[in-house]
Amino acid sequence: MRGYRNYFLNKFLWFLVTLVAAFILNFILPRLMPGDPVAAIVARMAQGISNASGVQAIYEQYTELFGTNRPMLEQFFIYMRNVVRGDFGFSFSQYPRTVADVLKSSIWWTVGLQFPAIIVGWIIGNSLGALAAYRKGAFDKVLMPVSIFVSNLPAFGMAIILLVIFAVMLQWFPTSGGYGFDLIPNLSLDFMWSVFTHYQLPFWSIVLITIGGQAIGMRSMAIYELNADYVKFSRFMGIKDRKIVRYVFRNAMLPQITGLALAIGTMVGGALVAEIIFSYPGLGSTILTAVLGQDYPLISATTLIITIMVLTANFLLELLYGILDPRIKAAQAE
Amino acid sequence: MLLKKTLLLLLVMVLLGVIAACSGAQPEPQTIIQTVVVEKEVPGETVVETVEVVKEVEKVVVETVEVEVAADAPADDEALPRNETLYFNGQQWGSVVGWNPYSNSNNNAMAKANQMDSARVIMFETPYLYNMLDGNVYPLLADGDYEWNDDRTELTFKLKEAAKWSDGAPVTAEDVAYTWATHVKYGTAEGNAYVDYIEDIEAVDDQTVVIKAKLDDEGNAVNPLLVADYVSKAFVIQKAWTEALEERAGGDATELMADTAEDVVYSGPYHGFFWDDTKVIYIRDDNYWGQDASMWGKLPVPKYLAHTIFKDNAAGSVALAKGEVDVSQQFNSNINLLWENYGLPISTYLPEPPYGIGASLPTAFYNLNSPGLDQVAVRKAIAMAVDYPTIIANAMTDQSATFDQVPRSLMNPTPGEQALYDQAAVTDLQFAGNDIEGAKALLDEAGIVDTDGDGWREYNGENLHYVATCPNGWSDWQAAIEVVAAAGKEIGIDITSNYPEWSVYQTVVTKSDAPLPEGYDIFMMWSAGAGPTQPWGRIRNLLSSEWVGVASNWSGNWGQYSNPEVDELIQAIPSETDPDELEELYTQLVEIYLTDVPSFTLMYRPQNFHAVNETVWTNFPFDGDGSDPPIPPLNCTDGWSIACLYNLELVNP
Repeated sequence: MRGYRNYFLNKFLWFLVTLVAAFILNFILPRLMPGDPVAAIVARMAQGISNASGVQAIYEQYTELFGTNRPMLEQFFIYMRNVVRGDFGFSFSQYPRTVADVLKSSIWWTVGLQFPAIIVGWIIGNSLGALAAYRKGAFDKVLMPVSIFVSNLPAFGMAIILLVIFAVMLQWFPTSGGYGFDLIPNLSLDFMWSVFTHYQLPFWSIVLITIGGQAIGMRSMAIYELNADYVKFSRFMGIKDRKIVRYVFRNAMLPQITGLALAIGTMVGGALVAEIIFSYPGLGSTILTAVLGQDYPLISATTLIITIMVLTANFLLELLYGILDPRIKAAQAE
Repeated sequence: MLLKKTLLLLLVMVLLGVIAACSGAQPEPQTIIQTVVVEKEVPGETVVETVEVVKEVEKVVVETVEVEVAADAPADDEALPRNETLYFNGQQWGSVVGWNPYSNSNNNAMAKANQMDSARVIMFETPYLYNMLDGNVYPLLADGDYEWNDDRTELTFKLKEAAKWSDGAPVTAEDVAYTWATHVKYGTAEGNAYVDYIEDIEAVDDQTVVIKAKLDDEGNAVNPLLVADYVSKAFVIQKAWTEALEERAGGDATELMADTAEDVVYSGPYHGFFWDDTKVIYIRDDNYWGQDASMWGKLPVPKYLAHTIFKDNAAGSVALAKGEVDVSQQFNSNINLLWENYGLPISTYLPEPPYGIGASLPTAFYNLNSPGLDQVAVRKAIAMAVDYPTIIANAMTDQSATFDQVPRSLMNPTPGEQALYDQAAVTDLQFAGNDIEGAKALLDEAGIVDTDGDGWREYNGENLHYVATCPNGWSDWQAAIEVVAAAGKEIGIDITSNYPEWSVYQTVVTKSDAPLPEGYDIFMMWSAGAGPTQPWGRIRNLLSSEWVGVASNWSGNWGQYSNPEVDELIQAIPSETDPDELEELYTQLVEIYLTDVPSFTLMYRPQNFHAVNETVWTNFPFDGDGSDPPIPPLNCTDGWSIACLYNLELVNP
């Protein structure tokens, strides 16, 4: 038990150190980009203003408001204060909305799309991979090339193919949006059905790509496991195939779980491609606009969330490993 | 089995999550309507009885309305009836932030676009409406034309007695005066834009407004043109509401402009009904004052204006083709294919190229400090050699007039501006592009030749090498820049292209208080479109030396051209009223521009793109539709083009 406590403390300490370092980097890195975010805002404001002093006044007003003219250290403390307050300060690009407000309205779309897509893609992909490794033969010969082909399609390629086939040509699904273009959110069946149909294409465009990659990884791991002594031994013992596959699956899964945890940790970054091609609401395109428009507070907040999620996922995973595989704990607790 | 159950549970949770996300966390419509649907057994068919409970901000009104509707017809609060809704694209990008007419940070393109040349007037209104087709202004809140005093220092207009605010109070001269006072007091964008030209706005009586121009040392108005500009650009905002806003903001300018103002009082025909991350919907105010005989005499036809928020042009184009968008203000490449190849009921203002009316002149600027580009011969040679037909065919998919159709000057292709200068006087100077031999001859004549035989011409012993640039991802501009670079190679000038990100590009280009850095020899920016101060405003932006030395220059002359003669001509135009004299001044400016070539126009671009899908609505404006005054193709929302909303008809009534 003492070994486990040391292991836990050690991991927790590293978690904190990484978090602090990441917090500082999240603040500094966006500000190192060349260019002036306030100039971009002034560009929007100043359209049609016909005197130079007027434009200059607007520029100074926003520089003062966002504090971009202050020393970096002072900006850092302002940022810290905003983070502690929980609103992360004003978003530059969507002023006067706060960053928290921007995130709140779109993060659920992203999580709603990404989380199930990652889980479903992961489960189907791994099951198919394990099955291919075990069944071999025709199944494997078909699945492998298909998986390699699909997993190597760029995400936008897959999204556009689905869009053209199922939305434009067959017209089974809508082409864009999170729900019907003529609907107002309410709790009617019509509306839910509309949300459901709009959900399908972005969802499958992510799932299909995930499946391919996971299946390939799982297949290799499983083939390695299938040749392990315990499998041969189980066979000699006359244990049923289904049970053996389960053993193999569990053992081959460890690295796959790491991948899953990382994917879930980074999902807040958004399904940018699916969002843009299907005009699906969500955080991905918000972040892209933020990066292009140098919306420092919004960039920092989203990267902070991603950092925390990845770190937490990793931390939990390490703890889990400690329990699942005593060798890891033993090796690291010394 | 367990796996399946978990999966199912997950899916259900996610679906609920998504529904919760779009029903919660979003701004609410101004009235909250709950609907209880009760199904009644009626022999043969199902009748749905709808009970609406309307909650308003202060009081709760309970209304019971029994409506007999067909079983499949959607109720008003769940779906917008297609034949009462006009759908838009290309105006609103990203979600709506606010409704504050004093702020420029609303990202609410249909309700408050910033300083438009033709003000967008669906929610807030201006005294006059500008018509880009004939160059005139027509009264909206105002009653009759405005009048200048003899010295052109005071502009007077009256307000219509019928004009009312959404709360029923009349629109008064005091509102107009207080709006201006507030703009100045809090330093809003409008205040900053006009404070150098307008001294004060006063209410003479309830109906009469006087705008006093700022005077120069000699007692003349600094710029009468910009004073007159105010009446068709600046919205009138209610005094009583403004005072409430000031109180809420505690007199603080930042607070005042950061207010989202969802309670704003407006005078226009539409106001916000619902908005979230995917769309914004405006609903008609059926008490709108404009149905009075002194204005439109009726309400605008669509009950709702809705704008789906698309993430890129491609998604918007698909929706237009599918009939989910009626009016499209975005660049739809190869728009003609939609009717020629697919037979869709989609059309543009003109049936043939350029399909729309060009209004602005996207322009390539020369960095006049780059070695060699200080030579007129080099500047003119490059401009003459550029293959403009290719730019227009590729970058604009023919949605721009060519320079054979509309010879280059400083004017946009509208008939009003074309008539302002003497075309015959400058014919020799106008070039339509692809003139490789002419360009070579010009350079040879100037002694800028290739002496060392490496294929590139030299000036002062150095090869002529330039970088042509525009922001990355602006694909039409990038296509144009590539054509410019290709032209250089044809005439022995090495031009390479480079595309920095917009965030960097704009910071560099607008810093006019220092010479432009390396890599910005030839670069693209825009020019002003059509408006009450045009073409004067555009010419000033392109050529005036007053922008040189400005730290944050969003006006123009980014290549930092300076010519005292031009400055004088620009100075003279706003006070000039004699048409012959004006023509003389404009012609001189065009002559100097085409001789000096400090920058050159690459294409003509419409003020707004305007394509319509006539699946549901029809009677949109088109060239030769017989409307008088003509309704411009500005999406039925800007300036005089709002008249279009009163003419619309359903295809299947």
